[in-house]
Amino acid sequence: MKRNILTVVIAAVLVLIFVLLLFVFQVRQSEVVVVTTFGRPVSNITEPGAYFKWPWPVQKVYRFDQRVQNFEDKFSENLTSDNNNLLTSVYVGWKISDAKAFFPKFAGGNVPAAQRMLESVLRSAKSAVIGHHMLSEFVNANPQDLKFDAIENEIEQAVETQLSTNDCGISIEFLGIKRLGLPESVTQTVFQRMTAERQVYISRAENDGKAQAQIIQSAADREAADTINNATAAAIRIQGAGEAEAAKVLPVFQQNPELAVFLLRISAIQQSLNQKTTLIFDERTPPFDLFTSLPTNSPSH
Amino acid sequence: MSDEHDHHDHGPEMPDDAGSQALAEALRSSFAIVKIVMLLMVFVFFASGFFQVGPQEKGVILRFGKPVGEGQKALLSAGLHWSFPYPIDEVVKIPITEQQIVMSTVGWYFTTPEQEMSGEELPAGVSLNPAIDGYVITADRNIIHTRATLRYHIDDPIRYVFGFASASNTVQNALNNALLFAAARFTVDDILLNRVNEFREAVRQRVTDLTEAEQLGIIIEQCDIQSIPPRQLQSVFSQVMTSRENRNKLLIDAQSYTNRILSQAGAQAVSLTNAAATASANYVKSINAEAARFGDLLPYYQSNPSLFVQQTFVQTMGQVLTNVQRQEYLPTHADGKPIEVRLMLNDKPPEPKPAPSP
Repeated sequence: MKRNILTVVIAAVLVLIFVLLLFVFQVRQSEVVVVTTFGRPVSNITEPGAYFKWPWPVQKVYRFDQRVQNFEDKFSENLTSDNNNLLTSVYVGWKISDAKAFFPKFAGGNVPAAQRMLESVLRSAKSAVIGHHMLSEFVNANPQDLKFDAIENEIEQAVETQLSTNDCGISIEFLGIKRLGLPESVTQTVFQRMTAERQVYISRAENDGKAQAQIIQSAADREAADTINNATAAAIRIQGAGEAEAAKVLPVFQQNPELAVFLLRISAIQQSLNQKTTLIFDERTPPFDLFTSLPTNSPSH
Repeated sequence: MSDEHDHHDHGPEMPDDAGSQALAEALRSSFAIVKIVMLLMVFVFFASGFFQVGPQEKGVILRFGKPVGEGQKALLSAGLHWSFPYPIDEVVKIPITEQQIVMSTVGWYFTTPEQEMSGEELPAGVSLNPAIDGYVITADRNIIHTRATLRYHIDDPIRYVFGFASASNTVQNALNNALLFAAARFTVDDILLNRVNEFREAVRQRVTDLTEAEQLGIIIEQCDIQSIPPRQLQSVFSQVMTSRENRNKLLIDAQSYTNRILSQAGAQAVSLTNAAATASANYVKSINAEAARFGDLLPYYQSNPSLFVQQTFVQTMGQVLTNVQRQEYLPTHADGKPIEVRLMLNDKPPEPKPAPSP
């Protein structure tokens, strides 16, 4: 009896496992699953978990990656509205939003085929949008004139509209410009222009330096001259004050101007004939006039 | 083997019964072995559910494909864990604490890491080939090379791993886009010189905005930017730098000239006024002294002016002549005509010539 129960339990478990394998399937996180009944898609499962199905050949399960996938188009050339050739490359984050629609569109859910479709949609959207914008809306120092974000949004809108018309179960999560470039020959002209611009900067810096230095130096010269002139004026004022002070003692000398003049001259002689002086005089200068005024028989006297 | 032994040992007495009995015996013991093996297998089956999560990673258990737990609770930290074995549970390990690094791919000219390491890069051509050479267009429509290195860590591993087929590529594209976007708003001089930090901040801000909008579940830590002018224009760009340095040097020189000349002028001014003050004070003093002397001498003068004058003058001359270095006395000619004297004026006497050697 005991052995029989064990055998039955084991058998039941084995049957259960077998049935589960036949009737149950898993949907993994990041997956989306399409269930087909005799080849016709009937349900679309996006939530992860375990699900029921009829065994093969009635129902079949197709799995797709539900994660956001990267797609980048080729670096291609388009004409802007102001006739500049602009090379752009755009990256797209896309994912399968409706696997039921996606599945029959691309031969059983062929992702490369979907990317080829995406590329052609992107190409036409890009050329249409870029053709409506000027180059100055791609690059501009003034934030009001820069339309970088707007251009990206327009391309995204155009792609989304086309995809929803196609009804292919793909949604665009984000889209951005990955590369911007100019045709090879244009880069050469840009280099020439940049060189010319640099040379302007070089000569400007040189001339500006000289001019500024001159301004600074002449201002300094002027200030120095001012300082010295002011000092000279102050010196003259000081001298004048001294002379005025000296003039106060003039009344003393007025008691006898002759003596005053004589004394001043004596002082002057004392001061001027101080050192390192060579004095040449003749016999008429006192006290040497004594030489001539001695009693001789000279013809002059 | 044992079956045959049994057969030979007991065979002759009860050939049929003994044989079937032996078979039953054998089957029973085989079943016992199978049971043990099955129990062992069940044990191994459940034991295989143990797994380890390393210190640099987080684990997520997918039960029938669905993460066990919500958000942060779904994350298993480092240590030993157990889950049901496949196909019930599946363990996904996600690197998390380590820093992730991506580099931009669009802004730099064509070079390989080996060339960069050795410093032997291909010489720059006259133009940039859009197929291989990267660059960005600046707001003033110039071309420069710039590249960014972005460091980030994963904040929401479930979103990062299960939301994106290649999340690091998505981050890289956001970084490329941010470089273009920032360059489109800055002029070439701002990127290279004047607003380097603002440019880096703009790139970082744009990457942060994009990755948040895309819900990548990452946190940006650091963004480093390297920008250079096109190699074709390196010399003219460095000439601009040199000319600017020269200009600054001229200005500094002018400034130091200003300082020098102003301090000289200040000193000269002070000495001028000081000299004037001294001279003036001396003058006042001497005139006062003269006045005092005048007052003293006046009575003598008044008593006999002529004698006083003669006496004072002769005395003064006597004093003066003792001080004087050289005195020449030139008597007049006998006929009364003055003698002509020629003077050669020289402050210093000429150096005596060395004696000619014999």
